[in-house]
Amino acid sequence: MYKWRKLKDRIFFAVILILSIIAITPVIHLIVVTLANGLSVIIRAGPSFFTSIPPAPTSKDVGGIAPSLVGSLMLTALALPITIVIALFSSIMVNEFPRNPLSIAVDVVAKSLASIPTIAVSMVVYLLVVVPMGTFSTLAGVVALTIVSLPYAYTYFSTYLRSIPETYREAAYSIAMSRWKTVTRVFLPIIRRGVLVTVLMTMARILGETAALLFTVGRYRIGVSTSILGPTDALPLLIFDYILTPYRNFQEIAWGAAALLLIAYLIIFIATKLAVRGVKL
Amino acid sequence: MYAVEMENVNVYIGNRHILKNISLKIPYNSVYVIMGPSGSGKTTILRVINRLIDVNRDARVEGTVKVLGFDALKKDPYELRRYIGMVFQTPNPFPHMTIYDNVAIAAKINGVAKNRKDLDAVVRWALEKAMLWDEVKDRLYDYPHQLSGGQKQRLCLARALAMKPKLLLLDEPTANIDPVNARKLEEAIVSLKDEITVIMVTHYPHQAARVADYVTIVYDGRIVEQGPANQIFLRPTTELAQKLLRGEI
Ligand SMILES: Nc1ncnc2c1ncn2[C@@H]1O[C@H](COP(=O)(O)OP(=O)(O)OP(=O)(O)O)[C@@H](O)[C@H]1O
Ligand SMILES: [Mg+2]
Repeated sequence: MYKWRKLKDRIFFAVILILSIIAITPVIHLIVVTLANGLSVIIRAGPSFFTSIPPAPTSKDVGGIAPSLVGSLMLTALALPITIVIALFSSIMVNEFPRNPLSIAVDVVAKSLASIPTIAVSMVVYLLVVVPMGTFSTLAGVVALTIVSLPYAYTYFSTYLRSIPETYREAAYSIAMSRWKTVTRVFLPIIRRGVLVTVLMTMARILGETAALLFTVGRYRIGVSTSILGPTDALPLLIFDYILTPYRNFQEIAWGAAALLLIAYLIIFIATKLAVRGVKL
Repeated sequence: MYAVEMENVNVYIGNRHILKNISLKIPYNSVYVIMGPSGSGKTTILRVINRLIDVNRDARVEGTVKVLGFDALKKDPYELRRYIGMVFQTPNPFPHMTIYDNVAIAAKINGVAKNRKDLDAVVRWALEKAMLWDEVKDRLYDYPHQLSGGQKQRLCLARALAMKPKLLLLDEPTANIDPVNARKLEEAIVSLKDEITVIMVTHYPHQAARVADYVTIVYDGRIVEQGPANQIFLRPTTELAQKLLRGEI
């Protein structure tokens, strides 16, 4: 009896192991291929990969990705805090006043925004921001990225907030904490890990977003731009454009940028795993 | 003057009638015990007193409730709760705060301590009153999940005491505690009477007999018997009360 149970245990374990290997093989393959192709480019180009502009199509130079890198950093630095603040406040409002018409509206809007294709967001922002301003801009990109990532961050925050047992609200109220203090001193600390994970995941989402930027930032690659009202570029756009060209040095640049983006993703992923210890309930 | 006075209080949750015409008077500095079978409405009575019932958006309260001289149903609930401590049926210490902070926060929120020294003193006093000090004095910076169920319960009692309440609501405070500690806790409760009015829900007739000045027996949302403890224990008039006190319900 005991032996049979042990055998079953082993078989079960073996099946799980094989299935897991099947599941992660494509991911590992993707990581290895991207790093192998990209890192060799970065190494060959040296530090100038990060500081120079892309090469001319047929030149022997490897060139660099500085405009897109700076653009991506700026877009993320602006869009991430805006997204997080709005998403956090609205998820708190909906959690605290679920029957308030405004909360119901926010919830519905957030859920429907999540299902709009990001390329459509890009078109709408093109009409509402780019056309009136007469130019592509970092600002338009930030608006598009915020719209795209808001429902994402909002959904995460709401899920974490809803997971807090009601009994902690009661405990807080019973010692005469106000609603606001209950949120800031009880709820947010309890879900602190979730908040940090959400920030990191949203950051990853913003860094990798491509379609939302298609008609908004303008692919400015002839120099590094730090202007908020002028055009800029982003890593995913650069990859998207250059990998489709017939030029070998463009494709190399794309691989290098992809490797960089992938490394950023891996760092973010590891950070979410290491992120502050969760609260044991 | 009474610490709590309820008159014809009715509570509805959705369209369920939970409390039916509850009227009771709880004198200051007494221990008032509420007994009754599971689901009879004991917790709900406590939640009306500190307006925690408001957390349930489907709940509706009718009637008059006076608490410490305030019109409890009209007063700002956050203000009202400053005077009322509560220990819940299932322990709910704040999981992200240390043992020390769990007690200290209640004192801080209610302006009980002015400086760190005061705060240390209040925390120690509350933990001693709750019969927990000896067990945790060397691990004040541990977290509640490292405590046993009964220790968590006493931590919650300490938290409630640290706000220096005028009224203390105890919902089966000894449910998770061994008999020895339960007895100690009962002594603590009785010793609080000089400063605090205590309203306690319990399922144990013996415990009620040891601590109660007044007893009320609730059944299906109604009060079926109430009065001074002696009278209820010696001459229960209803069959229900008799059964309950013999431990048959
Ligand atoms: N949130 C709620 N929604 C609907 N009904 C509720 C809710 N909370 C309590 N009730 C109902 O109200 C009645 C009284 O509940 P209450 O918690 O006051 O009982 P109790 O006397 O404390 O029971 P116990 O001894 O089991 O703790 C029960 O019938 C219960 O089902
Ligand atoms: Mg109860």
